[in-house]
Amino acid sequence: MPTTVSTHPDARESIVLDVTGMTCASCAARIEKKLGKVDGVSASVNYATNKALVLAPAGMAVADLIKTVESAGYGASVPVPDAPAPPDPAELLRRRVTVSAILAVPVILLGMIPALHFPGWQWVSLVLATPVVAWAGWPFHRSAWVNLRHGATTMDTLVSLGTIAAYLQSVYALVWGSAGRMGAEVYFEAAVGIVTFILLGRYFEARARRSAGSALEALLNEGAKQATILRDGAELLVPADVVKVGDLIVVRPGEKIAADGVIVEGISAIDASLITGESVPVDVAPGAAVVGGTVNTTGRLLVQATRVGADTQLAQMARLVEQAQTGKAAVQRLADRVSGIFVPVVIVIAILTGVAWAIAGVGAMAAITTAVAVLIIACPCALGLATPTALLVGSGRGAELGILISGPEILESTRLVDTIVLDKTGTLTTGVMSVANVVPLDGTDPAQLRDVAAAVESGSEHPIGRAIAAQGSPLVSTDFAAVPGRGVTAQVGDLSVQAGSLALLEDHGVGVPAALSEAAAAESAIGRSIVLVAWDGQARGLVSVADTPKPTAAKAIAAYLALGLRPVLLSGDSTAAAQHLAVQLGITDVVAEVSPADKVAKIRELQAAGATVAMVGDGVNDAAALAQADLGIAMGSGSDAAIAASDLTLMGSDPVHAADAIRLSRVTLRRIKGNLFWAFAYNVAAIPIAAAGLLNPMIASAAMAFSSVFVVSNSLRLRRFQPLP
Amino acid sequence: MQSTYTVTGMTCGHCVAHVTEEVQAVPGVTEVLVTLEGGRMVVTSEAPVDFDAVKEAVAEAGEYVVVPA
Repeated sequence: MPTTVSTHPDARESIVLDVTGMTCASCAARIEKKLGKVDGVSASVNYATNKALVLAPAGMAVADLIKTVESAGYGASVPVPDAPAPPDPAELLRRRVTVSAILAVPVILLGMIPALHFPGWQWVSLVLATPVVAWAGWPFHRSAWVNLRHGATTMDTLVSLGTIAAYLQSVYALVWGSAGRMGAEVYFEAAVGIVTFILLGRYFEARARRSAGSALEALLNEGAKQATILRDGAELLVPADVVKVGDLIVVRPGEKIAADGVIVEGISAIDASLITGESVPVDVAPGAAVVGGTVNTTGRLLVQATRVGADTQLAQMARLVEQAQTGKAAVQRLADRVSGIFVPVVIVIAILTGVAWAIAGVGAMAAITTAVAVLIIACPCALGLATPTALLVGSGRGAELGILISGPEILESTRLVDTIVLDKTGTLTTGVMSVANVVPLDGTDPAQLRDVAAAVESGSEHPIGRAIAAQGSPLVSTDFAAVPGRGVTAQVGDLSVQAGSLALLEDHGVGVPAALSEAAAAESAIGRSIVLVAWDGQARGLVSVADTPKPTAAKAIAAYLALGLRPVLLSGDSTAAAQHLAVQLGITDVVAEVSPADKVAKIRELQAAGATVAMVGDGVNDAAALAQADLGIAMGSGSDAAIAASDLTLMGSDPVHAADAIRLSRVTLRRIKGNLFWAFAYNVAAIPIAAAGLLNPMIASAAMAFSSVFVVSNSLRLRRFQPLP
Repeated sequence: MQSTYTVTGMTCGHCVAHVTEEVQAVPGVTEVLVTLEGGRMVVTSEAPVDFDAVKEAVAEAGEYVVVPA
């Protein structure tokens, strides 16, 4: 299907094509020219994005247009929607677990209950166990082999070694030995048990993993999807990626600007929170530079595109996120770290056992089977459950408390977090403008000032005006007029009122006394936006508007401090505003007026100084910093890009939850470590038994069962985790 | 007979191909040889070719300028 974007009075439709083979800007010009020769067709080709926007008479075959492009020596195709999603890893694991479990249950029952033994039961076990060890256990064998070539041993090495040893030993005992004598037992149930349990653990983990989505995609989605461009005097709605440098874009109130550009016409206020994270809109007029992805709030704007596609600030931010994410080393799993030491030790013990028995003169075969018995018992079934069950219960409890964990393994790495970096707007503050102060001049009633201001602003579309109007007023205004970039005027009862900037008052010949200028200066010094109010030719006072701290912000900071974390305020806002908030909340480290790139740099700087950093943020401008931090925590009320770039998402917007998240991860880590201890303990205790040549399937099964029960019940204790009151 | 021209504004092999293609289409032209480096264009034809026709052909190919060498 062609991407038909809009139809026009001249009965032409616009078609977007993907173009291949362009190597320079003149290629684009060439294709434009070739397409332009087709009757009624005009085209514009964007070399940077490899897209052609074709205006063709309605009903024109797209194939003909493609042929025209091909005749010019290039390739063209209709853009295809995004590629189908890759198969879900949890789904793949589920198949392996299911098959493995179905085959393993009879083998385990046969192995553990002697009453079920029928003649030839070992052969049935062999048949059932073979696909489990070979197919279901294949991921472990492959990973063990890959690691071996790098000289590393991980949990997979231990699993692969244990199951192969148990399987081969059993086959040997069955085929060449007479099963039942010393060192000639069958251990099929150990082999299938290990594979099944560990796969089950992996499956739990895969299930618990939330599809985090791509931060990059989310970020680019913040950009405008469509743009209205002026072409030959007519407005044309097109996909944003065909906009070229120099195009004139029409941006209506509420629309996102499709490219970085310069305002040619119109006056408005731009919500640039995407880039700055700040909620105060920026007033703009012709000549002002605007950034793609920011939102036009009040007036119609005509913007000339200066940077498109990969050159825009939004794309640069996406690259920043990508760099931060790829630069983040994968956390080595605890189970792998333990296995890295444990496996070589076990192999040495097995070799020593074999050698010792050989010297003792029991014969080569008996010595080898004893050595293999050590390998069999050393692989703890419960190892596969130790980490996943704790993560599963921990992340499940987290979800109940509104803490969503995108990759549960992150819980393994957060114990060391010692610094918590906090975004200001939307994280510690509400991100919504509200009236912060009403300062009347002498002789003016503060209540009257507030009510008149609210009444005048009730017609305003400017976000600051709306914040003032939001308090409500018993008074009613008439003859409302907005003066773009300056303020508003209206009639309230008998009063002719002006509310806005100094310039507005001067326009109306109203003088501003020194007392009012001083009050205004004091309010702006702490980052507040000011509206001066005058009526009947006299300045009456001011109303200031600001973003206010969340009610729980101070409590959250206290909670961080109680956890031994050092809070750092990192804000794109002015130093004055950031300092003002920091003092209110008891934060001593403040870094303000930072760009998204500066935020990443600051996190890196803290990390380089040896700190392990958690970052709490909500904005698109925080995304790269969230990805860079050791633990990125996003506010659920925040942008998709921030959520996708983070490790944890807090439902709602309460910063106290960040403290709960860190507490939960610390407790979870403690449980994982306890689990790993118990998983290994029973098997380690059984190693001397195996080395003494006394191992039998009953002991192996008992070690398996006891450690598994311990591990699971230890993990379940995480359900009792309580949030801060 | 052969005439030599200089074409400016070409940046890649595609440009060369476009210019070649358009000039080739000028009536009377039998062979066109364009080199990217230096922008040299050698046109072989049966009879002398009107320069305006060549100029028009080159302009048709894109944002290029041609002058007799």
